[in-house]
Amino acid sequence: MSGRLTPRRPVPAPHRTPRGRLRAAALGTVLVAVLSPALSACAGDGTAAGGSAAALKWASSYFPTHWDPVVGGSGAQFRELALVYASLTRTDAKGNAVPDLAESWKYNSAGDQITFHLRPGLKFSDGEPVDATAVKAAIERAKTQKDSALFGDLTSITKVDAEGLDAVVHLNQVDYQIPQLLGERVLQIASPKAARSPAALDQHPVGAGPFIVTQIVPGTKAVLKKNPDYWDAKDIHIDTVELTSAPDASTVVSGLQTGVYNFADIEPSQAEAAKKAGLDVFVQPGFNASNISLNVNKAPFDDDRVVDAVRYAVDRQEFVDKLTFGYGEVTDQPFPKGYVAYDPASADAYPYDPAKAKELLAQAGHKPGDITLDLVIPTDDPQAEIVQSQLAKVGIKVTIKIEKNWATPFFAKDLTFSLYSTTGRDSAVQTLTAHFGPHGPLNLSSPYEPAGFEAAVAKVRRTPLDAPDYAQVLQAATRAGLRSKALVFTFSQPNLFAKSRSVSGLPKNPAHIDWTGVTIGGH
Amino acid sequence: MLRRVLALPSARIAVAVLAVIALLAALGPLLAPHDPLATGDHPLGAASGTHWLGTDYLGRDMLSRLLDGSRVSVLGSLEVALTALAVGVVPGILSVYLGRAFEWITLRLADTLVALPFLLFAVAVVALLGNGITQAMLVTGVLVSPLFYRVSRAATLAVARSPYVEAAVIGGASIGWVVRRHVWAKVLPPVAVALAQTVGVGFVIVSSLTFLGIGVQPPAPTWGGLLASDLGYLSQRPWAPVTPALLIMVTVWACNVLADALRDVSGEAGRALVLARRARDRRPAAAGPAPAGGAR
Repeated sequence: MSGRLTPRRPVPAPHRTPRGRLRAAALGTVLVAVLSPALSACAGDGTAAGGSAAALKWASSYFPTHWDPVVGGSGAQFRELALVYASLTRTDAKGNAVPDLAESWKYNSAGDQITFHLRPGLKFSDGEPVDATAVKAAIERAKTQKDSALFGDLTSITKVDAEGLDAVVHLNQVDYQIPQLLGERVLQIASPKAARSPAALDQHPVGAGPFIVTQIVPGTKAVLKKNPDYWDAKDIHIDTVELTSAPDASTVVSGLQTGVYNFADIEPSQAEAAKKAGLDVFVQPGFNASNISLNVNKAPFDDDRVVDAVRYAVDRQEFVDKLTFGYGEVTDQPFPKGYVAYDPASADAYPYDPAKAKELLAQAGHKPGDITLDLVIPTDDPQAEIVQSQLAKVGIKVTIKIEKNWATPFFAKDLTFSLYSTTGRDSAVQTLTAHFGPHGPLNLSSPYEPAGFEAAVAKVRRTPLDAPDYAQVLQAATRAGLRSKALVFTFSQPNLFAKSRSVSGLPKNPAHIDWTGVTIGGH
Repeated sequence: MLRRVLALPSARIAVAVLAVIALLAALGPLLAPHDPLATGDHPLGAASGTHWLGTDYLGRDMLSRLLDGSRVSVLGSLEVALTALAVGVVPGILSVYLGRAFEWITLRLADTLVALPFLLFAVAVVALLGNGITQAMLVTGVLVSPLFYRVSRAATLAVARSPYVEAAVIGGASIGWVVRRHVWAKVLPPVAVALAQTVGVGFVIVSSLTFLGIGVQPPAPTWGGLLASDLGYLSQRPWAPVTPALLIMVTVWACNVLADALRDVSGEAGRALVLARRARDRRPAAAGPAPAGGAR
């Protein structure tokens, strides 16, 4: 067998007819048009076209429906709004209030007045000065604006005096929770000039936070750039942010893999896939807790025995096993275990005991199948199916009703039976009053309040946060709140984020996303 | 006509598939090996001897849920098709006979309904009237009805202008008699084709709506709903969406094949086709044995 290669004829250059050239040109144009966006997305990892800018591409499950922080309230969207707005205080890794726009604060000796001293020379992105007048306007707007979701959180504040850079907050009671309260959750401060038209502010946010909004496509996408006038701009290393409303949970990891995003909220069910895809999974500690909300003003929950039957019928471990993929834990309080307000003395007060639940229902005169309930929820939620299945085992028939307009009857306290998952609050007292207070937004049984709760909360307010007995007093208030028959807490899970490895580690600030010092692609 | 349809192998396969699906709809809940709503201790379990298709995110038996969910999908698609048939056919025939005003109004109405996107409209109706598959499918049926209106109108127009119908009308025959005696037989085949097509479209619509969580309250299983819930757990059970997706695809395919078969055998062309096939089938018997050495 000869090893000589068969001589090949030189391949002539393909002869292209005008039509062939036209076709090739068209094909080339199409390829360029199709591949360019894909290639630019893949090239990404946060680096913009120029190759020098650090771009955060965040797919968020909580894309703001309102950009006015007063309307947005203190729920989960505060993290996204905190890109634009700064507040008087923020929280550190231990959850304590630390300076933000206010560089210091001081209570009077009676504890019913607190003065926040603002950093000098700051301005909002529209050029307005960040001073005590802006703080006063922000608090007054939160207390009085018709569609404010925050007025219930500010009931301790009677008035604010503006004295240059000093905002003097007058209280109607001794309340040492105020620095915790006036953080990112409750008092993100907007430019008073922009806030003169709340409707316009809701579309075009103007704050003094680390980023400035340059474009908003409502409900879909927001583009932001770094705010050079932010008080801590030197520690913000992200140049642009593309905040996108997250697509279906099952596609987020693919989006991260292909560089469409480099940071995303993920469901616990996606965490394993994210890890397998080589992404970082950031487990952010938080104060999340889920509950079953009962309205004790309506039958059948106006009978304590039925309420107790539901409490004994709930197997919390099933929620953890089936919904959290190893990231959650059971809780019977509005906080996760280990949090300062978590009361160990109240733990497991109503263990899973379906036999006892049936017995209580029988005592109340209900045969199996007698009680039928509508469980009204805003979206399809496996929690509801677990509740339905567990209550069926004790003879309570539950029909799940998905009500897109759920928020209106829920917050008007018109529902009898529902579910709620809180992301918690920075002030433990705010969490307690939101759930157990007579007008708490999460108390479906308003104006019902468990006996002794008001006094216990007042005592917490009177106790400085650094007092040696603070934890003890706070846990006593939790204990008092848990006498409420309106809520059955089930489980807690942290916030999960998946990120490209080009995004550096984030501070483990409970429930908050702190972009200070975070770099992208080494920038 | 049925005999002619079943003469086609593709139609026989389609009918067999649809018969199985109908059987599942009728007996599915009885055939389910487990309670389709009972949660179990092994969520997202793999296929096993106990759970042939594995378990879902709450440990429920997937096979039982698929079997139980077949009824909603079948009844929903039939509801779409029968509503469209009822709403579309009669006005389609009458538009030829009841004068210009009726014709103009029904034509404009049909144009308007065609312009409405039925999926979005169904979502809007559900938002207004409450989350229920019946109302969603009724509305979708009305929106699909222009197909039947146009098909029946076209067939009626063709026959209404034929000399024997004109002779009957001149002879004093009533519209009712003409429709019963001459029109109906001509309208029926294209309507049957449209019906088979619409059942397939109905499956797609039911599956799309239930995929989006519209029309059925959890935990009631549906093929579309199971497909949607499986997609959320692809990393744990990547194969899980295959079965509901296949069921939907095969059913829609069978409806379309049946519609094609009905079209092929209906009318003069269909009759000619069947006669040609019969002639071809007879030919080898008359030709006798092939000579040794093979055919030349």
